[in-house]
Amino acid sequence: MRNEIRELRTVRGLSQGELAAAMEVSRQTINSIETGRYTPSLPLAIALARYFETTVEETFHGDDDD
Amino acid sequence: METTMTRRPFWRSRWWMPGFSLALGAIVFAAFAIGGNAGEGVAGFAIMALLGLVFLLGGRSETLRGLGGPGRDERWAMIDLRATAFGGMVALTAVIVAWLVEVANGREGTTFALIGALGGVSYTAAVAWQRLRS
Repeated sequence: MRNEIRELRTVRGLSQGELAAAMEVSRQTINSIETGRYTPSLPLAIALARYFETTVEETFHGDDDD
Repeated sequence: METTMTRRPFWRSRWWMPGFSLALGAIVFAAFAIGGNAGEGVAGFAIMALLGLVFLLGGRSETLRGLGGPGRDERWAMIDLRATAFGGMVALTAVIVAWLVEVANGREGTTFALIGALGGVSYTAAVAWQRLRS
C-alpha cells in the first residue's frame, strides 16, 4: 500500500527512529511501512495520520488510487 | 483506542526468554538425569543456557529482540503468527510422513498417529474458537 509517511516524516525533519519511538513501534516497522512492505493496522494508521495532523485517506492510498 | 505497541506483559520482558530457556534447560537436565544419563543432561542444559544468553545479549538484532520479547510490535506479531503457522505445518507434515513410513514398514506408528491426531484436533478446535470470536 502506497503512503506518504516518508514525505511527512522528512518534511518535519524526523528520523525513522524518532517516529518509531513516538508510535511505540520498531524503527524497522516504520521503514517497512514507508517502503510499502508492511500495511499497518487501522489503529496504527490512525495514530500516524493524527501524529502528522492529517487523515488516513490523505496518508494511505489503495493500489488503484490515483 | 489501543494504538500500536502491544502492552508489554511479563512474557514480553527482556528477561522472559532467557528465563524460559534456563527453565527448559533445567527440565531437559532433569529428564536426562531421571533416565540415568545426567552427562547428556548437562550438555542439554548448557545449550539452553547459551541460547538464553544469546537472547539476553541480542543487542540491535531485530530478529533476536523480536524472538526474545522486547522488540515486538504489531508487525512482529504478524511475523510471529505466520512463522508459527509455517513451523506448525512443517512439523505436522513431518509427523504424518513419519507415521506413513512406520505403517509402510509394518509398525503401528502409534506415537506419530497420536501426535498427528492432536495436531488435527487442536487446529479444528482453534478454527471453531476463532470463528466464534470474530
